[in-house]
Amino acid sequence: MFDYKECIPWLRKPHPALVKNRELFADFNQGRPLHEYTFVVCDTELTGLNKRKDEIISIGAVRIVNLQVELCQTFHRYIQPKNIDPNQATLVHRITPQELKAAPPMDEVLPEFVEFCGDALIVGHFVGIDMHFLGKAARKSLGGMISNPSVDTMRLARGYEEAKCVDFYGNCDQSQSYNLDVLSEQFNLPRFKPHDALEDALQTAYLFLYLIKKFKHGGIKTLKELYLAGRIRGLMS
Amino acid sequence: MVVAGDVHSETPEVVVEFLANIMPFNELDSEKLHEVARHVKVDFFPKGVKLLTAGETELSHLYLIQQGGVKSSISDDEGEVTLKDYRGEGAYIGALPIIRGTAANLDIETVEDTFCFLLPREIFLDLINTQPGFPQYYLKSFSEKIVTTAYTELRSHKMTRRGDEDLYLFSMQVGDIVKQDPCVVSVDTSIQQAAKLMADARIGSLLIHSPENSEDIIGIITDRDLRNKVLAQGRDYAEPVENIMSSPVGTVLSQSVCFDALLRMMSTGIHHLGVERKGKIIGIITSHDIMLLQGNSPYSLFKEIGKQQEIRGLYPLSQKIPEMIRNLIKEGAKAGNIARMISILNDHILERLLTLLEYEMGQPPLDYCWLLMGSEGRREQTFKTDQDNAIIYADPKNDQEREAAEEYFTEFARKAIDHLVNCGYPLCPGEIMAVNPKWCQPVSVWKNHFEQWVAAPDPQELLHATIFFDFRAGFGKASLATSLRQHLNEITQRQELYLLHLARECMAGRAPLSFFKNFIVEKDGEHVNKLDIKRQGLTPFVNFARVLALKHGIRETNTLSRLHVLFKEKVLGDELWAMAVEAYEMQMQLRLIHQLNQLESGIMPDNHIDPASLSDLEKRMLRDSFEVIERLHSFLKTMFPVG
Repeated sequence: MFDYKECIPWLRKPHPALVKNRELFADFNQGRPLHEYTFVVCDTELTGLNKRKDEIISIGAVRIVNLQVELCQTFHRYIQPKNIDPNQATLVHRITPQELKAAPPMDEVLPEFVEFCGDALIVGHFVGIDMHFLGKAARKSLGGMISNPSVDTMRLARGYEEAKCVDFYGNCDQSQSYNLDVLSEQFNLPRFKPHDALEDALQTAYLFLYLIKKFKHGGIKTLKELYLAGRIRGLMS
Repeated sequence: MVVAGDVHSETPEVVVEFLANIMPFNELDSEKLHEVARHVKVDFFPKGVKLLTAGETELSHLYLIQQGGVKSSISDDEGEVTLKDYRGEGAYIGALPIIRGTAANLDIETVEDTFCFLLPREIFLDLINTQPGFPQYYLKSFSEKIVTTAYTELRSHKMTRRGDEDLYLFSMQVGDIVKQDPCVVSVDTSIQQAAKLMADARIGSLLIHSPENSEDIIGIITDRDLRNKVLAQGRDYAEPVENIMSSPVGTVLSQSVCFDALLRMMSTGIHHLGVERKGKIIGIITSHDIMLLQGNSPYSLFKEIGKQQEIRGLYPLSQKIPEMIRNLIKEGAKAGNIARMISILNDHILERLLTLLEYEMGQPPLDYCWLLMGSEGRREQTFKTDQDNAIIYADPKNDQEREAAEEYFTEFARKAIDHLVNCGYPLCPGEIMAVNPKWCQPVSVWKNHFEQWVAAPDPQELLHATIFFDFRAGFGKASLATSLRQHLNEITQRQELYLLHLARECMAGRAPLSFFKNFIVEKDGEHVNKLDIKRQGLTPFVNFARVLALKHGIRETNTLSRLHVLFKEKVLGDELWAMAVEAYEMQMQLRLIHQLNQLESGIMPDNHIDPASLSDLEKRMLRDSFEVIERLHSFLKTMFPVG
């Protein structure tokens, strides 16, 4: 039987994966010790950076449990975009249009990804962009929002650097780059190949571990403190 | 790349690649390797974090260092901390405690930001039990007798494995080494009767059978049970042995190789195993029985030297030292201990040689002492040990005695030096040997020598100082050496000016660090781009310790001992002392491994290390050591202000 509600976004019932997802975060507690949370570090590759037009073409993610990277609990999918177009982004990612044509559409991949995330916090580098495109896809394919809170390693890195180098007058070197590659180099992290969603997610996971354990000499104990650490000076205070 | 079907089973390539490059994981087939890799997690430990605490931390994982470095140390009952080793990329942490099921045996602390792969304990134990290469690899690095240090990095990167080593462990069956039939008594035997039986039969353990069947072995008692369960607890001797026996008896099959038995003992902590043949226990073996099989132990070499009745018999024995040292390094001994071991064995050879020579030539006309100088005097020899020796004899009372002494000791020195050359100790190029008449003199002349050196310091005299001032008694009447040392201490403490010269000479050599903290290596000659670890690295420490020892009248000649006394006397602070010791031992270790490798590839050992052959961690440690030299120099500057 044809259900007309399915065609009208604001009348549509959310996908069961999203319903479950929302329940998981109904009463989310920020005060627990950091190691009790599960994190999913993720990275998405896009057809471009236009927030309105562009789409996700691959998702890579890895889980962190007990503040240890679970290298075998990974998620890696290519996604068939609605508009397949051999533009620059696919060249950067070395994904061919043929590979994209063979990949499943977002409707199929996203519920799996939401499932994979479970009750974890989503971690990413410039996570705002990933969350924007994931949110857009969730509205379109699943009829709702993804409820997982997110943590941005870029902000953390910035907080970390500022705490380290603020001078007597409260100034800080503004020329610092917070690109994932540059930070990994600077902190001397083991390296992964860039521009592959899974490898970038792994690289981000290493960066995340590094930052939360180095910040305040391991003094960050709860999620709340982590959020405070990632606040950007000048914008918040 | 095609999308993986199952989300949770994608094998982390980074781990596979890592494991495929380290021993013993590189021996696994690809399927097994992938399976193992799927269980690995990553953790990160910032610099300065204490990873394991000896005696406390229970290990749930084996740690494999992906990047970074750690140091291991152990502290004794008095809280004194001894550094054991540094481990870098590819090294493991925690294998021994996991295999033995104990808490951590060492303190481990990160010295850099360190990423580790964590392999769950059960997976590791499964590999130990199912992969033949695994127990072999890990067990080889442990020894219950010698301090459990594993210079893993040095070993796996720098030391070639030999096919025949420890072969007996793998070829000898336990059935073959059982010495006698087991003694068996019934469970209702009294403790005292059992103890008497053990004493009469001179055995350390007794098997216990059930009352109705003497074939049915149900338990065992050992010396330790008598001590711990009877004496310590004040138990009645008339109680039956049943109350103190351990049950059931751990057994091995008689056809198992000794290695399996040793592994059983180490993993279970049971040191008496019943040897079983056709369902019957035919005897008991202990870890001691297996240890005795090792013929290349320092102790057996020591005994063999003492047994020689002819000087010629000593020639081949000194050649055995490198092989024995190799075993010690393999088992994890530290450079400082090894140097001491080498000098004990060399001293023992010298003692035997000169004793036999005295038999041959008859009693010497006067008391004398064979002095050892330079690195021998400091007990810091490695494999390349030039002879630096001299003779001091009692002052003759008249001309007749003088002539007799000169004649005897000239001949004695000539013969001794020849024998020593045949034993493999090369001649000293500077002719600082007892055979040189200048260095074969009575006490009064020696005192005079030293007085002159101290009174009028010139460069040549300062060179002498470095060799002669580290003398010690090697053989003969040690009191002659002691009185010379006493005299030297008296005159040097009076001659502040001389010490000042010595200190300046000491500070003249710059530490081999450039502003960019790269290595300064020799610019020309045969050893272009190589680091002379003795001259540039170790000598500054030796000189430093010597100057301060002379200033403070310390009799020790060994550099580490001198530093220790200086610390105890509060001349050196806690921190500087610890840094100096750590830096010095680290370099000794590097030099030792370097020379051992040369020796094994048939090259004459030298002190020239190619920095390119060092791992990143070693380079960093070496660089840190060189920085300590600068600290020592500035310490000397405050002690001996210029102008």
